[in-house]
Amino acid sequence: MIIQMAWRNIWRNKMRSIAIALSVAIGLFAGLSVLALYKGMMKSRIRTVIDSETGHLQIHHPEFKKDYDPQYLLSDPQKWLSDILFFNTIKAVAVRTVTQAMLATPTGSAGVQVNGVDPETENKVSLLKDKIHWGNGFTGKKKNEALIGKKLADKMKLKPGSKLVLTFTDTASDLVSAAFRVAGIYQTENVPLDERNVYVNRNDLNELLNINGSFHEIAILLNRGEDLALAKRQLQERFPSFLVESWKEISPETELMVSTMDYYMYIIIGIIMLALAFGIINTMLMAILERTREIGMMVALGMNKLRLFLMVLLETVLLTITGTPPGLLAAWLATDYYNKKGIDISSFAGDTMSSFGFSSMIYPEFPRPELFTVMMIVVMTALLSCIFPAAKAGRLQPVEALRK
Amino acid sequence: MQTVIDAHNVSKVYNADTIPVYAVNNVHLHLQKGEFTALVGPSGSGKTTLLNLIGGLDKPDSGNIIINGVDITTLSANELINFRLKNIGFVFQSFNLIPVLTAKENAEFILQLQKVHRKERIKRIEALFKQIGLSDKLNERPAKLSGGQQQRVAVARALASRPQFVLADEPTANLDSRSASNLLDIMARLNKEEGITFLFSTHDQRVIDRARRVITLVDGQISNDTAAVPVTHEAPVSTEKS
Repeated sequence: MIIQMAWRNIWRNKMRSIAIALSVAIGLFAGLSVLALYKGMMKSRIRTVIDSETGHLQIHHPEFKKDYDPQYLLSDPQKWLSDILFFNTIKAVAVRTVTQAMLATPTGSAGVQVNGVDPETENKVSLLKDKIHWGNGFTGKKKNEALIGKKLADKMKLKPGSKLVLTFTDTASDLVSAAFRVAGIYQTENVPLDERNVYVNRNDLNELLNINGSFHEIAILLNRGEDLALAKRQLQERFPSFLVESWKEISPETELMVSTMDYYMYIIIGIIMLALAFGIINTMLMAILERTREIGMMVALGMNKLRLFLMVLLETVLLTITGTPPGLLAAWLATDYYNKKGIDISSFAGDTMSSFGFSSMIYPEFPRPELFTVMMIVVMTALLSCIFPAAKAGRLQPVEALRK
Repeated sequence: MQTVIDAHNVSKVYNADTIPVYAVNNVHLHLQKGEFTALVGPSGSGKTTLLNLIGGLDKPDSGNIIINGVDITTLSANELINFRLKNIGFVFQSFNLIPVLTAKENAEFILQLQKVHRKERIKRIEALFKQIGLSDKLNERPAKLSGGQQQRVAVARALASRPQFVLADEPTANLDSRSASNLLDIMARLNKEEGITFLFSTHDQRVIDRARRVITLVDGQISNDTAAVPVTHEAPVSTEKS
């Protein structure tokens, strides 16, 4: 009967209950939408890291990444490729020759990382070809073609066809310089990456470094991101004397951002719910104030404080839960719509976003895994909100309450 | 004869620190089982305060109130709530039904607090509603009932738990004469047939006329107490039909 009473009590003042249920719905909608936006942004950032920067996994000589010394080589690429592709978790593999270099043009110079790639296999891992917006990319007909990022091109005033000089040290620590021609300008969602990375044909770079068919880096793309730990373990077991790293280790700042963003999201939801709690407390206090005499009568008849507390608790929880389905539904519908259509924020925050490696097109994602936690936060809000009104009701003396 | 209420030297003082007002002053009161008693007196004489003290809704500043051998002045707040639930039925001046519950649910409410089994609850409620003549109003909300009907439901609620006695604070004050007469008939009949003890506080001459014992309070003290009449004496029952 207490549940029945609690449910009927919340509809005694319909407008007030609808208003508070709507606040819960709007609060929940706002919280889940923020969560969906962040999830979308994070997913996009991880996608960018994997597609444009690191792949899911990389293999290096254990000493290579300490100083990027070109002498720490891996050899026999064909054997590596066939060994790695043996695992069914692997989708694509590309080998790269990597060296740190100084890029010089008549207008200036800049420190860059030169990545010697095999265009065909590289396109399968980093989709490099798809990111070329100006120029034709590697034609394969000419020697010393280079792809540079948009930011670097702007900074160095380079266009497709422009000449540039790359200077680096070879495996014997001798300085080597070579002229390259811009074959294309690429643009990713990560501006710092565009400014720092130059792609050349691996054969051209190997010739300059004098390392024949060797290379420094293996970039691996998986069929499913969920297999990251499994694939890493398989590869590490297969190649125990080499360094196998996942994108989380190669780009720890992204991993840190993703994990801390989870906490931020809960803090934001907590703040929304805190604001909501005051609304609920106010409503419940009003409801109890209006029913002082009735509550006094119930205590007079023999309703103890525990039952009274339970009644107020149930009223609060039911009131809060009433607003939950509309809030959830609205958040799901909005997220689903924008997940397909995307939210373009390039007009007001595009540069800022890309300077941090984020896409300016956000595809929100409904936070299904976090839904239980969010629901728990809502229920906790209701429970905490009822404590003060319930305590107030429990303190009522029947004689005084009956006089009201 | 079994003593149901035994109050000794009971006093209740308001504004004790400034200008003390004795709402109830050194009252001795003994009520036997089956009595049909009216507590009368002018406004401010302490009728409601005495009723609240006997009902365990308020604590006296001095004295003892023993109900069925239990001194309720020594009970804690929670023990008092439990004691009221099991021993005392209340009928209030302004009915005080729970508006969100139907007439049946209002009467059932107290039985649920007592954890009475559902079948037994239904049996008792249906019998009581038959006695008060509201069998056809079981599922009506209080707002759809007249004042007289609401007060009859309040009586059913008070009796549903089979209390030791019923305290009724001005039960006819908000009723027209016909409804008041009906209500008094019902209570008189329950007193006669079931031996239920009633103690009313009232101004209403109709209630006073029906009471077999009348206790008059003036300035918080008993100024007159007609002799208690044994339960075998019939309380006058009106011939007026509801």
